[in-house]
Amino acid sequence: MLKIDNLHVAVEGQEILKGLTLEVPAGEVHAIMGPNGSGKSTLAHVLAGRPGYEVVSGTVTFQGRDLLSLPPEQRAREGMFLGFQYPVEIPGVNNVYLLKAAVNAARKHRGLPEVDAFEFLTLVREKMHLMRMDESMLSRGVNEGFSGGEKKRNEVLQMLVLEPRLAVLDETDSGLDIDALKVVANGVNTLRAPERSLVLVTHYQRLLDYIVPDRVHVLVKGRIVQSGDKTLALELERRGYDWLIGEPESPGRRAAGHDGRAASAIEGARLAGRPS
Amino acid sequence: MSAALLARLKDEYGAVRGALPDSVVGGARRREAIETLCAQGLPATREENWRYANLRVLERARFAPCPCAAQVADLPAPLEGFPRLVFVDGVLAAGEPVQHAGLEVHSLRSGAQGADSSSAQRIAALPEARLALLNEAFATDGAALRVRREAGAARIELLFVACAPAQTGASYPRVHLSIEAGARLTLVERHLSAGDEASLVNGALRVDLAEGACLEHYRLQQTSARAAWFDTAEATLAKDARYSLIALSAGALAAHSTVHIRLAGPGAEIALCAAAIGDRQQSQDTYVLSEHMAPRTRTEQIFRGIASGRARVAFNGKIAVRENARGTDSRQSLRGLLAGPEAEIDLRPQLEIYTDEVRCSHGATAGKLDENMLFYLLSRGLEPEVAQRLLKWAFLEDVVSRIELPELRRCIEHELAGRMSELASLKELLR
Repeated sequence: MLKIDNLHVAVEGQEILKGLTLEVPAGEVHAIMGPNGSGKSTLAHVLAGRPGYEVVSGTVTFQGRDLLSLPPEQRAREGMFLGFQYPVEIPGVNNVYLLKAAVNAARKHRGLPEVDAFEFLTLVREKMHLMRMDESMLSRGVNEGFSGGEKKRNEVLQMLVLEPRLAVLDETDSGLDIDALKVVANGVNTLRAPERSLVLVTHYQRLLDYIVPDRVHVLVKGRIVQSGDKTLALELERRGYDWLIGEPESPGRRAAGHDGRAASAIEGARLAGRPS
Repeated sequence: MSAALLARLKDEYGAVRGALPDSVVGGARRREAIETLCAQGLPATREENWRYANLRVLERARFAPCPCAAQVADLPAPLEGFPRLVFVDGVLAAGEPVQHAGLEVHSLRSGAQGADSSSAQRIAALPEARLALLNEAFATDGAALRVRREAGAARIELLFVACAPAQTGASYPRVHLSIEAGARLTLVERHLSAGDEASLVNGALRVDLAEGACLEHYRLQQTSARAAWFDTAEATLAKDARYSLIALSAGALAAHSTVHIRLAGPGAEIALCAAAIGDRQQSQDTYVLSEHMAPRTRTEQIFRGIASGRARVAFNGKIAVRENARGTDSRQSLRGLLAGPEAEIDLRPQLEIYTDEVRCSHGATAGKLDENMLFYLLSRGLEPEVAQRLLKWAFLEDVVSRIELPELRRCIEHELAGRMSELASLKELLR
């Protein structure tokens, strides 16, 4: 499904991904974990085609095609979905109509007629119910005035309606309380299928209690330094990332794996102005 | 330039004055208007409030009224429930007699109303408003409307169609609107072109709202891409009068609108929502003065402007609070969207406060299309062009959402879709 080979990516001249290699076969769920600033979000954005990320070298193939040669909109139509860490608010653009436009763009790409409006709304309502979203969100602007948790649910709702072949969820668990996390995980789990792959980018093992991954990869300084099955996530939860980083760390840095807030504050200060 | 232009203006006036109808504006007032204008001079871009206007179009134009045009075909469909008067090059061309108790509508030329001598001085009281003097001097017709309380929820549409090229003369739409105490009116005012001529249109509108009167006014400027469209509007609001003005300017090569709102009675309220769209070489310039002259008066000013191509979109919004206007509440929100590297947006929020105990807020921002929003839409599979147009349209939402007539709203959305997209399906992407 997705094959990344020796990918080097720079942002504003600074190399963030330094030879990342990863393969996600169809039907599998892979988790990418790692400390702040390791390049997790960069990976997610590069896959979606965000401008400003310079691919220095390496290849990414998606369903056998060169993903990097496609513009973002075409990646989406080919079945690639990015769940944003920070979903953007777009006042004035209706939530449900954006969804419909997205579905129709993909259908047109596959030579299918436009979706029937009534059937579409029925489907959206059903998925909203699953995501425990209020129907009033249908008529609102995209993410307009949504709380952090509502935005994340809305991302998963879009994914459920679009039924992508490959979904990359960038820290979809961050900022969610435990009930919302379960709802989001439940939504994601309904999408698991033999023909579909999921990449979960996350800091914490907690999400993986509810979405059990087939593989777990640890991204440190732009490279996958360790891969394993779901037990690797448990080990990271217990031991933190230090044993994988391979160099002496400050006490604050050691807290990274255990205390997200402390880690964020420290990393946030250190990485100010730099994409992570 | 100016002296030669004024000399030509005088000559043109001298040549046609005998033929100008007294019933629209009396001869003495016309002469006075020309003299005042010549003394003050025509507006120039060195003046602050005309800085962004395209005044060069005046140099090429003939000031005298253009000859009466033939009937115009292909008018847009009338709005349901709205009697309509059609003016071609400023002269009443068509319109069923309005059958609505309490709503009197006359053509100025018919003389039924009688020329109203107070209007000229009022409209041209401000230096920014002196193009109204030009209208005063040359107007050949116009509409006089009076709404009485028994009219209930009265409605009317005034359609102004520009036909003649500016070399043959200008057109001078003129409207006197008086709404009596407690009366209400919904007015749709549209300015169009019959073809793609480079017409010169110079309109003047005067509105008087008596105590508790209410006006819902929609103004659409959709003249041809070569036209020059100037307009001066002045409204005076008595106690507790309410005026909602929603203005959309998308047409013309050079459009300049001056709006002067006088909140003369306590509790009077103006909500002005304006949107301007400029593309190619267009200039869209608006000056609004909201003058608080009595206690507890309110202003809400919203402007959204989009400039693409090499267009220039400007909005100068001034709120003046006079000494006795305690308890004034004014809000101003001006936003511009730069949609091209050579486009220009100029926003000027101004506050002038001469009393205490007021609440005045204002904000002005200009920026490009939001890259994050754009990428979000692309990442959902939308074409870049569609995504961009969608964001432009969404930018106007604050104004378009205020249109309370569904039919008119659809019409405007259609117009915007035509301007911003070949894709009819775009419309349904909006709320």
